[in-house]
Amino acid sequence: MQKKVGIPRALLFYKYGDLWSTFFSEIGAKVVISPKTSKTIKDLGIRNATGEDCYSTKIYHGHALWFKGKVDYLFVPRFGSAHKTHVGCPKFQGLADVLRFMYPELPKIIRPYYSQAKAGHGKLRFLQICFSIGFKFTYNPFKIINAIHKALKAQRNHLKNLIISESKLEQWEKSEIYLNDPPKEIQDEIPIKIALAAHTYVLNDPFASLDIRKKLRNRGIDIITSEQMPRSLVEQQMLKLDYDMYFDYEREILGTVLYFIANKTVDGIIHIQIFPCGPDSIVGELASRFSKHDDEIPLLQLTFDELTGEAGLNTRLEAFVDLLRRKRQKQINEKYLRRQPISHLHSLTSDL
Amino acid sequence: MLHELNRYDLILPNKPSKKTAELGARYAPEFVCTPFKLTLGTFIESLERGATELGMGGCHAYCRFGYYWPVQKKILEDLGYDNFKFVPIDYESPMEILRTLKNKIGRDVNYLQTLRAVRYTYIANRLTDLTDNLVYHYRALELEKGLTDKIAKNIYRRIVDTPGIRNLLKFQKEIPKIFDHEIEIDHSIDPIKVGIIGEIYVVLEPGLNVDLHRRLNKLGVVVEHSNTLRRFIDIPYKLNPFKHLTRDYEVKVANPYVEHRLGGETQESIGSTILLKKKGWDGMVHLYPFSCMPEIISRSILPTVSRDYDMPVMSLVVDEQTGEAGFQTRLEAFIDMLGRRRKISKEAQKKSIDFPIAQIN
Repeated sequence: MQKKVGIPRALLFYKYGDLWSTFFSEIGAKVVISPKTSKTIKDLGIRNATGEDCYSTKIYHGHALWFKGKVDYLFVPRFGSAHKTHVGCPKFQGLADVLRFMYPELPKIIRPYYSQAKAGHGKLRFLQICFSIGFKFTYNPFKIINAIHKALKAQRNHLKNLIISESKLEQWEKSEIYLNDPPKEIQDEIPIKIALAAHTYVLNDPFASLDIRKKLRNRGIDIITSEQMPRSLVEQQMLKLDYDMYFDYEREILGTVLYFIANKTVDGIIHIQIFPCGPDSIVGELASRFSKHDDEIPLLQLTFDELTGEAGLNTRLEAFVDLLRRKRQKQINEKYLRRQPISHLHSLTSDL
Repeated sequence: MLHELNRYDLILPNKPSKKTAELGARYAPEFVCTPFKLTLGTFIESLERGATELGMGGCHAYCRFGYYWPVQKKILEDLGYDNFKFVPIDYESPMEILRTLKNKIGRDVNYLQTLRAVRYTYIANRLTDLTDNLVYHYRALELEKGLTDKIAKNIYRRIVDTPGIRNLLKFQKEIPKIFDHEIEIDHSIDPIKVGIIGEIYVVLEPGLNVDLHRRLNKLGVVVEHSNTLRRFIDIPYKLNPFKHLTRDYEVKVANPYVEHRLGGETQESIGSTILLKKKGWDGMVHLYPFSCMPEIISRSILPTVSRDYDMPVMSLVVDEQTGEAGFQTRLEAFIDMLGRRRKISKEAQKKSIDFPIAQIN
């Protein structure tokens, strides 16, 4: 009988989902991915998880609990980092152990440990992990090698489709192309552009982010997300900091915010934080400080948790979008005024 | 230690108080952890008193701690302090510590002198650790209240004033004797023993944990904590294969629960719980600052450890708004519970002894 493997659709799934699901299906396991986050799953997580955990982790607990009795194995990797010095979140590493001890009734957890920054793991360790997992499902080593090959290819494709090139970004900045789905109704001559900076697992989870992407689209706004940004530009921005930012996922977010603050090619920036995410608190403060020093592009920082109301968010978004529209109108007016001959203005004032 | 590096222009930071915490919380980000707020408050106070160089640890770990100083620098600059510089010390590598100490902090010193300064520091730190643990023991049992604190204060003074490493080492042997001679303790009581685990800063800083150690001592409870700064600076202990810090054992014991370092004191907290249970201690108090990432992991795993080893653990979150009265009530309830538990287990033992006799009759 085919063995079933469950992968919770939360946190790192949004980054490495293609890699994992391709690998497992290639070695002959049946991959079960939990459904999209819903109210039931959220409630399940919030009821069971520790009170101080961050909102995203609570949702992860909910997804993991959904698998109770449905699969043979649960895949919860203890993924530290894939960089020499930069690290991820400690909670991602602790998750497998936490789940194992908090809910003994869960299916057996496959929990490979990989951390390049702390344990010095490299390609060899990666292969080792793949084989040790693979032999649980098949005895054919060639099948496993094939699976690794295909999985890596899928991951490369995923990144290729996601991350845009610098030339494409330039085109977008000139409003020649749309990166995501085009806005529903076009209200302005040139649609208002907003950069949306947040964790991958917030951006792609419509429930956790209260569907902010769709809300912006419905208001006729063209967006770019932080995960789409070319990595070279992000790294460039990191040189502005006093000290190397060692949280890997945060680099992306802070880099996006700093890039648009410096280049001024968008109308506004929205930074979504999850309460109480550790690195977010640091990065949010830095972003707001940088934005204060160079305040041409407005920055809206939103903090989400399980109690965030949809109505409050709508009001704030509307206010923010109105602000951007008014600002643009003002700029157009100023341009128009500047074109007027000065003598004409002079005569006006003399009449008074 | 800084005196050894030819620096006599020190401004010692104030003892953190509620006011410091409030000052820090006003300017710090919303949900950053409490140590950030407290250190920021301390820095502001020091700058007000005329400091120009601020020392701070930095690292590349899972903790936010390494990124404290860049953010704090930005905040302080925005507040209008511009005549200061930060000296970050990357504590993860010993060589880096030496280099920073020599080049950035010390004045006209060579590596040998720097090394001696470091050596002086960790030996002094061993002494203060020893004194701390003795204080936590004697203060719970002293007959004349307040005597231990007086003696401890003298000893701390003497540790700081003693010149030379050799004298310090001599003094180390004297410390337990001083306590033994001068403090009369009640030998008749078998005190309840409680271990304190958790995030290192909260455990060591009385200003933040509302002086938990003293509170427990007042209730007649002997306390101990294994967290110490020596983990970072006591190099001989790290190198010597025959000597181990308590931490090494704790990590070993915690292995079935958490195999890898997750930052913070996750492994230590879990290991300490198991080790102290084996030693026959009664309970644990687990302290962590609000929104601390690694400690939330241990908070989630500790209930299982507590169930497996039959060891009561009470987790307490600490932040700048922690109320003293609420804290006290919870501690008292916990200690009462431990006392009752002990009574019950003793009675159960008695019964099991009685039982065979009854059978013979």
